Amino acid sequence: MDDTGAVVAFWILTVMTLGAALMVVIVRNLLHAVLSLILSFIGVAGLYITLSADFVAVTQVLIYAGAISVLILFAMMLTPRAARDNAETFLQGPALVLAGMTAATIAGVAAATDWSEASRGPFTETAQAIGEALLNRYVLPFEIASVLLLAAMVGAIVLVRED
Amino acid sequence: MKTEPFVVNVGPQHPSTHGVFRLRVTLDGERIVDADMIVGYLHRSMEKLAESRTYTQNIPFTDRVDYLAAMANNLAYCMAVEKLAGIEVPPRGQFLRVIMAELQRLANHAMAIGAFLNDCGAFYTPFQWMFREREHILDLFEMAGGARLTVNYMRIGGVSYDIPPEFMPAAQALLKEMPQRISEYEALLMENEILIARTRNIGVLPADLAIASSVSGPVLRGSGVAWDIRKADPYCVYDQLDFDIPVGTRGDCYDRFLVRMEELRQSVHILEQALDMLPGGPASVPVPLALRPPPGEVYARIEAPKGELGFYVVSDGSPHPYRWHIRAPSFINLTPLKDMVVGLTLADAIITLGSIDITLGEVDR
Amino acid sequence: MLFLAEWWDLRDLGNPVGKFLEVLSDHGPGWLPYVASGIIGCVAIVLFLVPSQMVIVWAERRLIGRIQARLGPNRTGPWGIFQTIADTIKLLAKEAITTRHVDRWVFWLAPIFIFVPGITVFAVLPFGEGMVLADLNVGVLFLAAVGSINAIIVFMAGWSSNNKYALLGAMREVSMLISYEIPQVLTLLGAVVFTNTMSLSGVVQWQDHYNTWLVFLQPLALVIYLISAGVEINRSPTDIAEAESEIVAGYHTEYSGIKFGFFYAGEYFAGFAIAAVVASLYLGGWTFWGLEEWVPGWLIFLGKLYLVFWLFIWLRGTLPRLRADQLMAFTWKFLLPLTLVNLFVGGLEVLIWQENDLSAGLVLPVFAIINLALAVGLTVAWARFLGHGGPDSRPRRALLMKEVGAIVYGQEP
Repeated sequence: MDDTGAVVAFWILTVMTLGAALMVVIVRNLLHAVLSLILSFIGVAGLYITLSADFVAVTQVLIYAGAISVLILFAMMLTPRAARDNAETFLQGPALVLAGMTAATIAGVAAATDWSEASRGPFTETAQAIGEALLNRYVLPFEIASVLLLAAMVGAIVLVRED
Repeated sequence: MKTEPFVVNVGPQHPSTHGVFRLRVTLDGERIVDADMIVGYLHRSMEKLAESRTYTQNIPFTDRVDYLAAMANNLAYCMAVEKLAGIEVPPRGQFLRVIMAELQRLANHAMAIGAFLNDCGAFYTPFQWMFREREHILDLFEMAGGARLTVNYMRIGGVSYDIPPEFMPAAQALLKEMPQRISEYEALLMENEILIARTRNIGVLPADLAIASSVSGPVLRGSGVAWDIRKADPYCVYDQLDFDIPVGTRGDCYDRFLVRMEELRQSVHILEQALDMLPGGPASVPVPLALRPPPGEVYARIEAPKGELGFYVVSDGSPHPYRWHIRAPSFINLTPLKDMVVGLTLADAIITLGSIDITLGEVDR
Repeated sequence: MLFLAEWWDLRDLGNPVGKFLEVLSDHGPGWLPYVASGIIGCVAIVLFLVPSQMVIVWAERRLIGRIQARLGPNRTGPWGIFQTIADTIKLLAKEAITTRHVDRWVFWLAPIFIFVPGITVFAVLPFGEGMVLADLNVGVLFLAAVGSINAIIVFMAGWSSNNKYALLGAMREVSMLISYEIPQVLTLLGAVVFTNTMSLSGVVQWQDHYNTWLVFLQPLALVIYLISAGVEINRSPTDIAEAESEIVAGYHTEYSGIKFGFFYAGEYFAGFAIAAVVASLYLGGWTFWGLEEWVPGWLIFLGKLYLVFWLFIWLRGTLPRLRADQLMAFTWKFLLPLTLVNLFVGGLEVLIWQENDLSAGLVLPVFAIINLALAVGLTVAWARFLGHGGPDSRPRRALLMKEVGAIVYGQEP
């Protein structure tokens, strides 16, 4: 990344994403946590743009920040004690240990890998390539995903039926 | 999925409860499971105050009972006292009373339909259109009685003033353009798909429940019961006039709306006949200031725009009434509100309340 | 094209801007024109939006007054033109009440963020040839993505108010918004299927190249998009969330003063955004079959934008409001199948066109006629199939009776 603008953008987006992700686990209010999560989704979308993945970035905003966050908000509404301080639990110690070990593993693997920088070709539109891949090569997973979504929708309707 | 009902308080301060009306509904999701109405926020103890005033001094009180249909209240009260005291109103006075009552019916239904459509969300457009006509009618009232809203026009024994010469041409002009205006409103509203979807089969009041709850007026007629006091128990000169009563068949909000629209047309028809048949002569008989009717009790009722408005007056021979009770149609019409509203959503409940057409002055007195 | 490259030729607004940037790059460091062009674009959009909103609020009130047989604002200045300024001053001077148990941060941030979708969408809209701030090649998807953030902001406002009515309003609003996103995106795709590019200026150039507007080729998509987008921005007849006669003011019940003013203004910005999208995608953007050589393209674009917004104002003054569950049924059962069939037919047509390499002048009018017939026929047939338009929705009259005493409850007239 030799472009100053891209570097500046990368650092701003990184701080935003990581800061929001940190706030998700630190804040006590569940609504604030969900809103920070939405902010980190948008930050990830920005990082996709720095990687020239235009379609994925916009889809990230549309799906994650638009739809999945609404899902999480609805789930939060159905949580009985969502607004109160709910952070104290007896599992804090073991959770901290487990998280520490996971972080150490990931950091160790990341440091030990030999990262090679991909060659930066000219910018190509990704939407067309993704569309062709989804409908030619990966059509079976695509169809299975749609059947899965249909099953989820039917299940949701069955759950809330009055009778 | 386990849900829990919660209580929502609609009113007393609310843009669409037509006054200070409080409705406490228990919602389960979006459906109402229980509705509880709490009235009395506008209680002004009129009935008690009237016991210390003379019969003529009580006439301005009746204006304020249903402040949107003042002429009708005046008429009912004056009829009650005349029945009690045995006073006969001259023919010109009777016709003038009928004219004013029907003009008041036009004004009231214009406002009622406008407010009902406002509750449906039509953003004041039909409301403003109907207020054009109401403005003309209020101008007529100002010509005749001196005030627009609380007119205080009727007196015991007739009317307070005879109509000025400019009244007749103005009234004729209004009646000439009313049918066309009503057709305009029908064209805008009756075929509107959204209105039909909002009001059809909403707030159904079956006929037996309507009769058992003693509702009256357009609410009763919308439920399919053909009952109009102007035909069943004619007063003033209604037996000399020819008109029809519109009746709905389903008892939903749409039928009540239809009944009111049709009553507009019928009122215009009555007014045309009455203005033609207006005889000459005195408009009222003189009545002593401190009228002492013989001891007794009387109940007189009229078909007010909102329903059967009755006055029950008990006299003990003194200039002040012993007991003065108003049978307010809005209050009685609210009796089956809970049954009409249970099972609907909150938005539909507001529309149902709008279609009953209440005025809190009448409900609380 | 009679466009000149001189800086005073305002028919292409890039001319004066280009000249300014040239001057900057002569006298400043290398990155200055790049940053300055971004800033100029943003400032230009805001300079367009804020005065537009003030004028349109006044225009809407006067227009609705005309629809309602009254005058509208007429006291503050000639024809009441200073009404919006008076309203803004009033809102600024009002006490911004913050009730006790609200969630402070979220309560304060919600009216600020309400502007974000409305303004951000303008970054991809082409005001003229080459006059677009960020010519993204996924522009159409960007519109849908940014519009979907609206749901979150509304929820933030409703939840943080600590008020049952506000929460009811916010829940209704969120469920409505996510339901109406689907027809919105699918109808946008209906236009993209023909133009083979998701960039908005590409779509406008396609319409310029083939000398047609997409409204002729996709009339059903335009109507459905207007409906869905109208729901997205809470415009009557679908302004359930702020249904004044039902739940007082929905998700912005607890907001007073300038915070309410922000919600109010944000609704208009979003309305402009929708109108601009319709103007670019379906109504040809800045093209007008040759008129853009004389009249500046951006004036044509603005004219189309205001025309679409006038349609929204007209609908607001006329129609009553649908109930929330009726709106849901409307989108899931009625609009969604229609948009799917529309997309399918559009794709089929483009396939036939591309595979057989037919000439556009022959094929496009045929497509237009087929699509129009399909739009009308499909709408009527599907409505009949779902049960609308049956005997229950015919208007009726009340029965007229001469005598009292009959009970006709339950009888069919």
